[in-house]
Amino acid sequence: MLAYTEKIREAARRLLAENRVDVVIGYRKGTIPFANEPFLAKSSEQVDRLYWDGFCGANLANYLPKRTDRVAIVAKGCDSRNIVVQVLENQISRDNLYILGAPCKGMLDRRAIRKALKGKEATSCEEEDGKIVVSGRGFSTSFERTDVLQENCTICIHRNPVIYDELLGDLVPEQQGVDRYEDVRKVEAMSPEERWRYFEELTASCIRCYACRNACPMCFCPTCFVDESTPQWVGKTINPTDTRTFHFLRAYHLGGRCTDCGACERACPVGIKVRQFTKKLEKDIIELYGYEVGLSLEQRPPLDTYKPGDPESFIK
Amino acid sequence: MSDWEPKIVAFLCNWCSYGGADLAGVSRMQYPANIRVIRVPCTGRVNPKFILAAMRHGADGVWVSGCHPGDCHYIEGNLYARRKFALLKNLLEHVGIEPDRLHFSWISSAEATKFAETARAVVGAVRALGPAKHFIKKLAEVA
Amino acid sequence: MLEVYFQKAKLNEVIEQLIRLLRVYAPVLKGAYHEFAQIKTASDADLGFQNTRLSPKGLFHPHLERMFEFSLAKGDPQASILREVPKDYSPSVILGIRPCDARAFQVDDVNFDTSVVKDPWWVERRKSMTLVGLACNEPCSTCFCTTVGTGPFDTNGLDAVLVDVGDGYVVRAVTERGEELVLKLGLKDLVPDEAAKKAEEQKVSAEQSLGRLFDTEAIAKRDSAELFNAGFWEEVQFACINCGTCTFLCPTCWCFDIQDEVSGEQGERVRLWDSCMFPLFTLHGSGHNPRSQKLQRVRQRFMHKLKYYQDKYHQGVACVGCGRCVTQCPVNIDIRSVAQLMSASCIC
Repeated sequence: MLAYTEKIREAARRLLAENRVDVVIGYRKGTIPFANEPFLAKSSEQVDRLYWDGFCGANLANYLPKRTDRVAIVAKGCDSRNIVVQVLENQISRDNLYILGAPCKGMLDRRAIRKALKGKEATSCEEEDGKIVVSGRGFSTSFERTDVLQENCTICIHRNPVIYDELLGDLVPEQQGVDRYEDVRKVEAMSPEERWRYFEELTASCIRCYACRNACPMCFCPTCFVDESTPQWVGKTINPTDTRTFHFLRAYHLGGRCTDCGACERACPVGIKVRQFTKKLEKDIIELYGYEVGLSLEQRPPLDTYKPGDPESFIK
Repeated sequence: MSDWEPKIVAFLCNWCSYGGADLAGVSRMQYPANIRVIRVPCTGRVNPKFILAAMRHGADGVWVSGCHPGDCHYIEGNLYARRKFALLKNLLEHVGIEPDRLHFSWISSAEATKFAETARAVVGAVRALGPAKHFIKKLAEVA
Repeated sequence: MLEVYFQKAKLNEVIEQLIRLLRVYAPVLKGAYHEFAQIKTASDADLGFQNTRLSPKGLFHPHLERMFEFSLAKGDPQASILREVPKDYSPSVILGIRPCDARAFQVDDVNFDTSVVKDPWWVERRKSMTLVGLACNEPCSTCFCTTVGTGPFDTNGLDAVLVDVGDGYVVRAVTERGEELVLKLGLKDLVPDEAAKKAEEQKVSAEQSLGRLFDTEAIAKRDSAELFNAGFWEEVQFACINCGTCTFLCPTCWCFDIQDEVSGEQGERVRLWDSCMFPLFTLHGSGHNPRSQKLQRVRQRFMHKLKYYQDKYHQGVACVGCGRCVTQCPVNIDIRSVAQLMSASCIC
């Protein structure tokens, strides 16, 4: 995958030189292990700072809405699906985009690695041939890549970009026979009281920093519902009702728009599994309307359309 | 809690269900007085925020009612709403709200009988559950 | 000042004794990370931690502070009159706080406890709490305390400090309050020469492991307007997603918002943490927002910590180098790199 770095730089240099685009959005190498920083290259001098490895989990589509310049952007499978939704929702024009598709074998989960290190601090991390080697003061240990993937990546069935102008590498085989909703079904099988407690515990440590919301490429309302004050729909405290209302409505706003890219869960500073809310919506939308998010520029989003025979057994 | 009476917030569309309620009233039909009606232009206007706000302020149940599919004054408002509500109801239940707290119906302005019947059914279902426990905003108790 | 020693085997006994004397807050492992919480038994405390995910600032400046209560009941003669919420200021001790986090309270004192304005909750809590620190033998790679005027063995913000020397702890009282506590605990064993020597060695090696990453003096000397208009903010701000992670985890970020919460006929006025990263933070009633752009908000955070604070209070920067924002930023914006840009004199 490290070959991508060279490909990204080559493409960025060429596109900027040919004046095909004004800027290139990619990543630059992070200042600490397990992290990279989204980066905007504006000139060929900056191109060599572009970088790629398994810690490019931040969703770059987040930086697209309302841009009016011509942008080249590095996009994994999930990112490309988010771009499709943004185009459908008129946040960005496809004509202004040059998508550098990055077939992806999953992004690495810094939390899983840290957990496996049991308190030892890593100072460097190298990735090679499906393995990652983590070292720190007086230790060096290696992991199978597949053991420390972000959870959403382990169940991803769209690793290849769905739209792109150029690929950074060969398409990768898609994962087959993945059970995407095992965890959702487990919760569905609980009693209402158990479910309530499950989500109560899930959100108990929330500090209302909104990292989940802000990391999401689909959150671009000019005024978020949590910031509305007349009337104030959602309280701003860390009272469990306020926190729960925030998480509930944040998730609901992503109905038919979430691609399970995992940016929200990845961003949470206290490790809340916020995807437990959005995955239920994703599952329902497939079951009720047969729609998978972000696969087609032709089909309207599921909540922006209807069919006369839509399910309505819940309506009296 | 022997004298507890369920409080139900009903969002009724101006063109159909609100008319249905009106007709039920002028026809002197009996139905429980546990319903607080909020008139909305269309079920499509009902934002999930409204439903959560009702619960937050202590509603024991919420009922949303509008025109039958095909009869929407705005042609298709209730058809979009139907998709929104399906997801909303599922998600609310998923996070632990009892299914009978939230009700939806299609009632035209001529269906006074259906309105009174549905009102009885909704109140009965919510009464059977007892007072709402969840999504109610209480004041903080910590320091 | 008083210096004593006790064997590690005695740690739980010492903590139990503390619990009998005072309310005790200590690092507790909750799920995947540590946080400061009140402990009821010695075994709840875990001093084998690096640092807590959230800083202990919440013990003085809680995320949610109930300030006043009021009634809105019709006919209540006291209706709409704010009554102060009673608080419990029982004598307490924070055990195992890191020197940087303790220093952060001093950084914030200039805001909450001045000759003109005194925040009663902050002041009373500061009075009620004894800070027993735990020196850092092995600072993390993201720590930069020595660069910002504190250090892994800095005792400035503490009443007493523990140094883990392997088999036992050296306890050093720093203030009279700390000394009093050590005496109350009945700790009398003199520090063995071996342990004293080890503690000193650890201090030197911990401090050496950190180095100086940027020059805060150079930032103080730079012209505010020039820094404010510097070109590098454009690049710094790009990745920022404007979440409040950095500010909420920060031990020195003190900004808050005040809300009135009403339930039925009862209400309360609460104070909540707020963040300069949020557009709402600066939104005026008129609709005008002086910091409507992300660049302005990102710049504000760094300028406040590293420049304005220095200019206003002349006592260093409003950053203690704990590295929480560095490790938890979802997009890896690193205050160390930004400070280097601001000082424009990297001496690393």
